[in-house]
Amino acid sequence: MVAQAVELVRYRSLITNLVAKDLKVRYKSSVLGFFWSLLNPLLMMLVFTFVFTQLLSDIEIDHFPVFVLIGLLSWNWTATSVGEGTTALIDNAALINKVYFPRMLLPISVVASNMANYVLAFPVIFMAMLVTRMEFTPWLVYLPVIVLVQATFLTGLVLILSAIHVYFRDTTVLVGVGLTAWFFMTPIFYRVEDVRPDLVQWWYWLNPMASIIAELHTILYHGGVPDPLFMARTFMTGLVLLVIGFLLFGRVTRHLGEHL
Amino acid sequence: MAAARSEYAIEFRDVSRRFVLHHERRASFQDWFIGLIRPRGSAEEFWALRDVSFGIRRGETIGIVGRNGAGKSTLLKLVTRILEPSSGKVFVNGRTYAMLELGAGFHPDLSGRDNIYLNGSLYGFNRKEMARRFDEIVRFAELERFVDTPVKHYSSGMYARLGFGIAVHMDPEILVIDEVLAVGDANFQQKCFRQLELLKSRGTTIIFVSHDAESVRSFCDRAALLSGGHLLDIGPANDVVDHYERLLHEEEPTASLLRVRAVDSFGIATDELRHGDDLRIEALLRTPGGASTSGLGIELDLIDEGGTHLFGTHARLPEHLPPSSAGSRRADDEPDTRVAAATIRQPPLAGGTLRLIATLVDARANGREVIDRRETMLTVTSGGRTGTGVLALDHDWAWQGPSPEPGIVSPAKVALFRR
Repeated sequence: MVAQAVELVRYRSLITNLVAKDLKVRYKSSVLGFFWSLLNPLLMMLVFTFVFTQLLSDIEIDHFPVFVLIGLLSWNWTATSVGEGTTALIDNAALINKVYFPRMLLPISVVASNMANYVLAFPVIFMAMLVTRMEFTPWLVYLPVIVLVQATFLTGLVLILSAIHVYFRDTTVLVGVGLTAWFFMTPIFYRVEDVRPDLVQWWYWLNPMASIIAELHTILYHGGVPDPLFMARTFMTGLVLLVIGFLLFGRVTRHLGEHL
Repeated sequence: MAAARSEYAIEFRDVSRRFVLHHERRASFQDWFIGLIRPRGSAEEFWALRDVSFGIRRGETIGIVGRNGAGKSTLLKLVTRILEPSSGKVFVNGRTYAMLELGAGFHPDLSGRDNIYLNGSLYGFNRKEMARRFDEIVRFAELERFVDTPVKHYSSGMYARLGFGIAVHMDPEILVIDEVLAVGDANFQQKCFRQLELLKSRGTTIIFVSHDAESVRSFCDRAALLSGGHLLDIGPANDVVDHYERLLHEEEPTASLLRVRAVDSFGIATDELRHGDDLRIEALLRTPGGASTSGLGIELDLIDEGGTHLFGTHARLPEHLPPSSAGSRRADDEPDTRVAAATIRQPPLAGGTLRLIATLVDARANGREVIDRRETMLTVTSGGRTGTGVLALDHDWAWQGPSPEPGIVSPAKVALFRR
């Protein structure tokens, strides 16, 4: 395991290059490039705002567009990472069969390039906050911590899913359904406060994304004080998942060549 | 172990690689659930490589030949760590660059420039290390004008030049090339071989797979012949390519000699004999359809560098010769190959290079009609012995003082030197 980790460090330039490749390819193929990737969450924000403030009138969340945008951007990172990451090995089968490099870097780079997308979209949140005259607090500096927690969690998850996908190709079907269910189980367009109080604790335990988005809401939307212990617990969950993913991936992909 | 590690760039020890072919593929949860109810369909084992042992010395250029499906690609993938052996060990000592496909890892939408950096990082080179090589790669690939064009617009020649240019500028200690020089025109091929010669002269170990037997002959020091996953032969490139080409000749009506070679105590082909070891010689015969070998005779001759005929022996072949063991336990792959073996116990040879000649003769008629002849070179290493001349003869030195009386030999005889 240590040898594997050392190897990952040696190949770190591959992560940056794979991320750069992803971003370049993604933005090169369209005229507006990067701005298109911002347009998607903005349009989704409009849709959600319309549905939940105009169609369904009894939901009362102030500054709903900002509220939902925060959740959507964070969720987008998760959804795209899980979606693309699950198939990362199969998608690169040709490469895997021709060149040796730590295979782990393929799913990791998926998480990393979607993280870059996510972070590059922060200015949109800030702009929306400016436009709606919301308050910025110094707790904004806590943002990188939350990003790190989510990155840890996603890396672990994607390592596990991409390894499973090699052996069970219909993992993608389950992942598709799972993502939809997960989306509704996450406080993106509703408040944590509206969840049944006796379930909240369980719900936090089972869904790290709930904790992550709740914490994002705390520091950005409510302008409140983050709870370090709360994030530490989520971080531990992510870390456990990462270790499991690391071990499982190393085990499962030893005979990767013949399964692709 | 430490010594063996430094002598060889690559070492295979009893390496086997098995693939399991499921007639019913089970690669989804759906199949898995079905499998819980209904037992699994038959699976077939397929050994792509079986009990392969050999070493490639540092700085050596070795060609791998064999028919399709002989295990060449599996062998290369084991060297490059793309596959792991099912059993046995593969030791690779040195930075390896594999060219299993020109431009593997190129992304079509990225420019040549970006692809150079991306490809470099696939092999663990960072941006700075690649920047140092960048100009040379572009110059070699003759892509100065197109370096910022996406590679999807490249011609196949440009693609190949870029892929090859990257490979040879990575300063690999071990370079693995799989049949990639077939693309590109003669000009490009020449350029590639020039560049490979340069790497060779710098001490790069090169493993080279090609269907073009002539390029193996001219470019490689040694060659290995694979058949059905077995290492049939390894030795001087010319001899092994001869062996291979004769194997390919299916419709030879009469018996022929495929190869003569020395083998070590493990039955593995060698071109080296250590002074003091037994010399085992194998002559591989091909008898079409397993025809009888009665009436045939075999002659073995040893000739030294000066052309002196050192030794000759001949024997009539029995009706049924055993099939070739070829250094591996099973050899159903080349059923027509038979082996006639002779052992010369501790030949008193001092060192130098020998020609080993086998002649297949028809001994039925009166006299002798030559059917086929093969030869190989054998290097005898002295093993720290001091002495001169062609032969190393067992000898003692004796010292005796002046005799007290003429005619009576002193019993004082001191053996100072015994081999």
